[in-house]
Amino acid sequence: MNTYLTQMWAIIWKDLILEIRSRERIAAMGAFAVLAGVLFNFSIDTTTTRPQDVAAGLIWMTLVFGGLLGVGRTFHLESQDGALQGVLMSPAPKDAVFLAKTAANFALLYAVSLLVLGVFGLFFGVGPGQNLGWVVLVLGVGSLGFVALGTLFAAVSTGTSMGETLLPVLVFPLLVPMVIYGAGATTWLMNGRPFVEVEGNVRMLGAFALAAVAAGAVLFRYVVED
Amino acid sequence: MTDVVSPAEDTLGAEEGDRLDSNLFGSVVLEADGLRREYGPVIAVDGIDLSLAEGEFLTIFGPNGAGKSSLLGMLAGAMRPTAGIVRVRGQELAFSDTGWRHRIGMLSHRGFLYGRLTAEENLRFYGKLFGLVDLEERIPARLDQVGLGARARFQARQLSHGMRQRLSLARALLHDPDVVLLDEPYTGLDPSAAGVLRGVLEELKDGRRTVVMVTHNLREGLEMATRVAIQVAGRFAWHGRIESVDREDFERHYHEVVEARA
Amino acid sequence: MSTAGMRRGGTALVVLGLLGLIALYWMAFFWVSTEVNQGVVQRIFYVHVPAAWTSFLAIGFAALASGMYLWLRDDRLDRAALCAIEGGLVFATLVLTTGPLWGKIAWGTYWTWEPRLTLTLLLWFIFVGYFMVRNSTEDPEKGKRFAAVVAIVGAMDIPFIHLSVIWFRSLHPEPVVAKPDGPTLPGDMLATLLFGVLVFSLLFFGLFLFRYAVEGLRAEADLRARSVA
Repeated sequence: MNTYLTQMWAIIWKDLILEIRSRERIAAMGAFAVLAGVLFNFSIDTTTTRPQDVAAGLIWMTLVFGGLLGVGRTFHLESQDGALQGVLMSPAPKDAVFLAKTAANFALLYAVSLLVLGVFGLFFGVGPGQNLGWVVLVLGVGSLGFVALGTLFAAVSTGTSMGETLLPVLVFPLLVPMVIYGAGATTWLMNGRPFVEVEGNVRMLGAFALAAVAAGAVLFRYVVED
Repeated sequence: MTDVVSPAEDTLGAEEGDRLDSNLFGSVVLEADGLRREYGPVIAVDGIDLSLAEGEFLTIFGPNGAGKSSLLGMLAGAMRPTAGIVRVRGQELAFSDTGWRHRIGMLSHRGFLYGRLTAEENLRFYGKLFGLVDLEERIPARLDQVGLGARARFQARQLSHGMRQRLSLARALLHDPDVVLLDEPYTGLDPSAAGVLRGVLEELKDGRRTVVMVTHNLREGLEMATRVAIQVAGRFAWHGRIESVDREDFERHYHEVVEARA
Repeated sequence: MSTAGMRRGGTALVVLGLLGLIALYWMAFFWVSTEVNQGVVQRIFYVHVPAAWTSFLAIGFAALASGMYLWLRDDRLDRAALCAIEGGLVFATLVLTTGPLWGKIAWGTYWTWEPRLTLTLLLWFIFVGYFMVRNSTEDPEKGKRFAAVVAIVGAMDIPFIHLSVIWFRSLHPEPVVAKPDGPTLPGDMLATLLFGVLVFSLLFFGLFLFRYAVEGLRAEADLRARSVA
């Protein structure tokens, strides 16, 4: 078990240090988040639509598309010098590799999702107010479900001739529950409703995330085997 | 391997039997039984058996597309055979188990390195995956061995191609594997890196490791081999001990075998 | 079961299913009483719902076969999953065709985010993803594994999608439509519906066996072509 954690940590540390040094994905995702906010501002007529009614939905859509941008490349970066094969040929169990990649992607996406929240607060003057803590929690649970599915299917799409273009086709239908529960809960929280009203949603979101992590940990080995 | 008798085989005196076998050197380390690998309609490896003991060095020659890399991939446990099994020290390479993986080291023409990790960090990363505990001593020693001691803190992408190759070599051997698999290791090496590689291979041989090397460079392939095989269209079209190989005439023999099977 | 046996079984089930379909149409058009609120249009229900049922049966069956394929690596299991998904795609397409036809007349709009319709649409995309993944790898074995993963995760996601679209719907009430549902369904409607489910299941398994037999022959032909070459 101790070795298991050491191996996981080695992969997480490696992914994060690479990201810190290259800043490739965080820069792309961060820029996307800000620019999406700018474009939403111009695409929505704020005289007829109240920003707080649509903000939560837009935040989640930014999260989904921005996340796809970053998570989709997680194995691409890894395979440049065949390094993924090196990892897969090591004694590290495949589920440890999956969980570690998911954890590293989670850290990345969660950071971006908080940035998105800030951007929307800044651009639209909408925010979660006293529900900030709950919204941050909901975004975290949602990001976890997203990266679990995203990491698993990024491995699938990287292995196909279609590459990353296949990823949205595969994950968008599967992400519907996450978007419905996540955006739903966020909308209510941002409108000042108490957490107890959305507790059921958040539980479902959590169940979804856990199921996605478990499915990925079990199925990942079949995706990466050659 | 039953129907493989090329005209040249007699002149080079290949051994009897239909298996690349050896019990001369003591305990068997690497075994393959009926290895076969298909990619849909394409058959890359078509029933290869082999058995190598400690200290043996098998070089596999063959033209492009002969299935050499697929064979190596299966021996490395990186690729699941369509049929057949591989054993390392009697333990079957089962995909549900990872215990055997620390016995195998592979150096491919790709480096398996992370460009933005330093030489030292690359080794530390793999060392942790392999569960090694003495990394603080082991890593500097290995870097010195391949002549990169002074470059420990350079990122891999800042190293020259030859240095990266040497680092890959250190990476592949970091966990002291019993079986070392080399896929075209000399490709693109500068003379100094080739020299380092040669030295390391000598050490492996002296250390009674079992080595399988795939190459199409005849001179480098014969240099250290104890056994030689020529793979064509997924099979060993010819194989024999190094003593049975006429080094001067091997090139002609190689071309005859390849053409006879093509 | 031998290939010939499967073809016979498939033929028997399909013939039975087609006869049943005639009976179902007769029941739906002439026998069952007209639903009070929606009128005649509601009769499409007896095709719509059984087709939906069958497409969910298909993904469940395919996920089961896929899971066993990943475990046992028997190509027959992969072929079974493929054939089930194909059948599922056909029936899901049927749902997505009859749904809007019904919707246009009942609700005045072709598309509505009615939970069952939404779920079927997403299921349809999962089916399509299955084929896209399967056909976009150079190594067919890899395509089989990838597709199996899609089927399994897709089936696992269905309950989540189902619950979430129902919850979503509850937030956004549409013009209330009296929909026959559950125990309130009058006896003759329930009987017709259950008969429809039976007929569509027969058709599904009949077509499945046919397709499965064909895939088996194809694999055999591949093998022969290879041993000759």
